[in-house]
Amino acid sequence: MARRYDSRTTIFSPEGRLYQVEYAMEAISHAGTVIGILSKDGIVLAAERQATSSLLEQSIGSEKIYEMNDNVVAGVAGLTADANILINQSRLIAQRYLLRYDSPIPVEQLVRRLCDLKQGYTQFGGLRPFGVSFLCAGWDPTFGFQLYQSDPAGNYSSWKAACIGENSANSQSILKQEYKDGSGDGDSSAANTDMTMEDALKLTCLVLSKTIDTAKLTSEKLEFSTLTLRGGKPHIHIYTSSEIDQVLQEHATAIKPTDE
Amino acid sequence: MDAQFAVAGKDFAISVTDKTAASSIVKMKHNEDKTYELTPHTLMSVSGEPGDTSNFSEYIQGNVRLYGVRNLQELTPSETASFVRGELATALRSRRPYQVNMLVLGYDAKAGDASIYWIDYLAAMAKVPYAAHGYCGYFLYSVLDREYRPDITLEQGMDIIKKCMVALKTRFLIQYSDYTIKVVDSAGVRVVSMDDI
Amino acid sequence: MSIMQYNGSAVVAMVGKNCVAIAADKRLGQRALTVDMDFQKVFPVTDRTYVGLPGLATDVKTLSDRFRMRVNLYRHREERVIEPETFANMVSQIMYERRFGPYFVEPVVAGLDKKNKPFICGMDLLGCLNYANDFVVSGTASDNLFGMCESLWEPDLEPEELFETISQCLLNAVDRDAVSGWGAVVHIITPDGVITRDLKCRMD
Repeated sequence: MARRYDSRTTIFSPEGRLYQVEYAMEAISHAGTVIGILSKDGIVLAAERQATSSLLEQSIGSEKIYEMNDNVVAGVAGLTADANILINQSRLIAQRYLLRYDSPIPVEQLVRRLCDLKQGYTQFGGLRPFGVSFLCAGWDPTFGFQLYQSDPAGNYSSWKAACIGENSANSQSILKQEYKDGSGDGDSSAANTDMTMEDALKLTCLVLSKTIDTAKLTSEKLEFSTLTLRGGKPHIHIYTSSEIDQVLQEHATAIKPTDE
Repeated sequence: MDAQFAVAGKDFAISVTDKTAASSIVKMKHNEDKTYELTPHTLMSVSGEPGDTSNFSEYIQGNVRLYGVRNLQELTPSETASFVRGELATALRSRRPYQVNMLVLGYDAKAGDASIYWIDYLAAMAKVPYAAHGYCGYFLYSVLDREYRPDITLEQGMDIIKKCMVALKTRFLIQYSDYTIKVVDSAGVRVVSMDDI
Repeated sequence: MSIMQYNGSAVVAMVGKNCVAIAADKRLGQRALTVDMDFQKVFPVTDRTYVGLPGLATDVKTLSDRFRMRVNLYRHREERVIEPETFANMVSQIMYERRFGPYFVEPVVAGLDKKNKPFICGMDLLGCLNYANDFVVSGTASDNLFGMCESLWEPDLEPEELFETISQCLLNAVDRDAVSGWGAVVHIITPDGVITRDLKCRMD
């Protein structure tokens, strides 16, 4: 039955499903893991780089983590080629907003605009949906630090800790277990959490070590970035490979238990 | 020929516009309001070509309010002013530009301060403590330069406004019988009666 | 009176020893009427490149915003900051894009490149680049600035000497121009950072 309805993105099957969109999501569940964790004073974003080879030139700085704007950084799971188009579009959206209003785009607006674009490709004829999910970490003066997840259908949702890509269900349950939620007080503009940046980095390492199928975590297979505030302004830092190794070293104890 | 000026203190801004709608040498209307509330805390006063003023202002008002509805968050005065300027600048290089001078007054609740943005029909923009457009400028800048202090209270602001009106009454060929006076502060926009100042 | 003189402006950039300086007045007017005495005409492009935009005030704002957009897109795409010479060519391209309906601004670019070599250049409103290794001037007081710079500038000035030279050039030039002055700002770009100073000025 499915065969008749899955060749076009724009046609519902009799069960009311859009197969192409579901296949796109399936593609993502085989992509490298991306983890985002929100803390009181910043966000950690980490991504797994799949299929590395010693012959592969490592000249490109990063291939899974990109700056979308000065206040938004995104981790990509899915087809890198599709992601490049969306990253480029989101950069343009952010800059056009800056040109128009002379202030940085609020994080949710950027995510929404990006998802509107993705949604369009599930509805208008003859096109394939973008095979990409994003984790967008951002900061704006109104809502502080925010973490959004998006899928190829064009849905987005806000999270305190999220994971996309291979083994994401597994990672998500670890995140749920280990995440230190806030006690409830504090002002509404900041996320309600007890996590510190250090906790977030540690938890990231823990989750990565449990989800990535490898003997030893190394900088070759990983990308790291943080979004923090520096002098009241958002500051994105994309880690170099030596910095990643250093983080892994520091949190070696968190990683250890998995070797048992 | 419109009268249009404004003064801002730390946490308030006062807008003054005349109430006349003129066509050639004829007064067509005596109770025209030349201000537009863009958000609950932003006010825009306009002067210039009669058709252009309302057309452009209503377009701006519609779009700024749409932003508020869409995003559940209002534009700040500085964002509003940038948007207004951008639209006017785009129109400037179109087939038929708008000939509108504007003052965007606003109170930014987050920053806790009030501001005035002076925008002329060429879409030049400046953030200023006090401003005037058209012939008014030639009479009022001298008064405003002398009287203005950064730490003025609302009452002192109103005194400056009064002095400006006196200057126009004594030296300007055109006589304005009535003005719309509006105050923007943390409480929003309110009209002040001529009798109260 | 041409549209270039409508708002009034003066911008000057100078080369020193391993440093550059760029300075501008702060007036915004409508012909003879002064409207604002704190109008910025010099904008930071990167930590070590600045652009001065004398001319019609509406285009000053339009262009500074468009440059910021293009430079941000460049930085994100290339994952590095733009060099002054590259930026000058970008400005030139943006200006020439409007060959038959130009922006009424004559930009000045000043900065240090990645080897700390000073770079300055000026251009006309169509984007024709004019490289210099001493000084460039622009705006309504440009004739006066030429005279001042010709007599005061000398090669290999240290940052503090350069500050004194550029300040004297600008202040004395705007004092003899009716539509510029009313405050001034100077940026000295050195390998260790940028020194920004506001100058007190005749206000009449």
